[in-house]
Amino acid sequence: MKRRSINSRAMNVLAFAVVIVWLAPVAWVMLTSIKPTMLINSAEPTFFFFTPTTEHYIEVFTRFRFGDVIVNSLITVGVSTLIVMILAFPAAYAVSRMGLMSGDFWALTVLSLRFMPGVVVVLPYFKMANSVGLLDTHLALIVVYVAFGLPFAVWILRGFLLDLPREVEEAGRLDGFGWLRILFFLVLPMAAPGIAVTAIFTFVFSWNEYLFALFLTLQKVTTIPVALQKTIDVYNVLWGSLSAGAAIQLLPMIAVVFLLQKHIARGLALGAVK
Amino acid sequence: MAAEPSFTGKRHAPLAAHRRRVAYLLLAPTLLVLLGLSIFPTIYSVFLSFRVDPLYNPKVARFIGWRNYTDLFSDDRFWNSIRLTLYWTVVVVTIQMVVGFLLAILLDRKMRGASVLRTLIIVPVFISPIAMGLTWRFIFEPVSGLANWFLSGLGLEGYSWLSSTDTALGTLMFVDCWQWTPFVALILLAGIQSISPEITEAARLDRIRGVSYYTRIVLPLIRPVIMVVLLIRIVDSIRFFDLNFIMTKGGPGSSTLVMSTYDYTFFEQGHLGLMAACGLLMLVLVNLVVFVFLNTLYRSEKAARRADMK
Repeated sequence: MKRRSINSRAMNVLAFAVVIVWLAPVAWVMLTSIKPTMLINSAEPTFFFFTPTTEHYIEVFTRFRFGDVIVNSLITVGVSTLIVMILAFPAAYAVSRMGLMSGDFWALTVLSLRFMPGVVVVLPYFKMANSVGLLDTHLALIVVYVAFGLPFAVWILRGFLLDLPREVEEAGRLDGFGWLRILFFLVLPMAAPGIAVTAIFTFVFSWNEYLFALFLTLQKVTTIPVALQKTIDVYNVLWGSLSAGAAIQLLPMIAVVFLLQKHIARGLALGAVK
Repeated sequence: MAAEPSFTGKRHAPLAAHRRRVAYLLLAPTLLVLLGLSIFPTIYSVFLSFRVDPLYNPKVARFIGWRNYTDLFSDDRFWNSIRLTLYWTVVVVTIQMVVGFLLAILLDRKMRGASVLRTLIIVPVFISPIAMGLTWRFIFEPVSGLANWFLSGLGLEGYSWLSSTDTALGTLMFVDCWQWTPFVALILLAGIQSISPEITEAARLDRIRGVSYYTRIVLPLIRPVIMVVLLIRIVDSIRFFDLNFIMTKGGPGSSTLVMSTYDYTFFEQGHLGLMAACGLLMLVLVNLVVFVFLNTLYRSEKAARRADMK
């Protein structure tokens, strides 16, 4: 009995140690982003005891126009997420509650889009955007993010809607409510948490997206992932600026992880687990 | 009572028709978006793949039949990229599944702070491969990087990691596993924790614990979840682009040139027709693997489950 408790304590320590080591690279970016350049480039790494600096953050905002870049990301990601949710909610309701199209059909659609190699569709998108003069505009990227976010959002939201009790809708129908009123006044408030989770997932996908942004933006509307790469494309590699930019990109995602918590598995496993 | 069914039946028929109309109306925008932005581009890609279509000289664009495909089939680098992609997929998915399962067991413990650990470990999954890929390049930088400093602390020689053909692929695999093992762990953990307490209790009463609890009770029960994670990881490893592009761009030489980065080289050279053809072949490969997966592993899993029920 005693041996087991020692063992179990050792396992607890191991669990903590593994997680800390696993996240060390993330901590390292944050640390590097506030470290003076001289210390960053030295062969002997510095972990503690240095005077923090904001020089890298100033550099990314001036030299690499991160102010504009962040705004670009927020516009494309924000607007596309909003459109996705406006379209996905009625669609998810039609699929989950009104008996239109089987769950299998949607599973197949979602899977085939989820599994579509980006390099296959990015070329048609590039050519289409180019021929209608939409290259390097917010609109092009918004359209693509809506296309990729929508089926996925319908799928996650469908799972949430299936979990809602049917009684409220039936009561509404007996009271003579039409479909639209049932949808927006009865179902929408009940589904609010599920809608929020779905919206966050949609946001994350577009926030981290790189390939489409790489093809469809040139100068004016580059998003954060594309701009990050530019800090290291120049002559000498600016690890400090890169880390500051990366930290700006990472921090909202860390917040998202804590916001979503127990809903994460459901969203990532395409509804296979709850 | 006897008249009742036909009565409700009649009243329901127009209601059902109305209901269908509303449902289609609610779904219509989504279906249009799918048609216009997923199905149409794929067809357009097929069209492009039969053309020579130089990016910088669009005037000479014309149909050339199967030439793009035959060109690809006679290119050694094409076959190399397929071999490398399959090798990559087998190695990283195996590591991620095994380590992910161990990590899930480790985090399945009841202890103070466990829920914080379970949340923290997910962070890598939500971080953009671009931000982290560039950070890893800094860590694997030969002179000022942490990796070589760590090795020298152990009294070992440093490596040039990403810039050597011997180590570039392994380094990429390491980073990919760093990012995606937590994804596997998270979903397996969700599966493990959805096992009903009665089963866990029964196992405890039967003195099944420790390793045998996980191999004899947990593994068979979470088989469906394992199948889903496996499928997602296999396909994502075949499609794998971001990390590779940002860390090595297929190099040095062609030591990390997997299919998607190979495909991208055609864009850089401006050969849009070849890029379309290569992309479609990649789509074929993905579908082939999914088909084989569903027909072998998934079917045997289903059969096993049916046997369990008997």
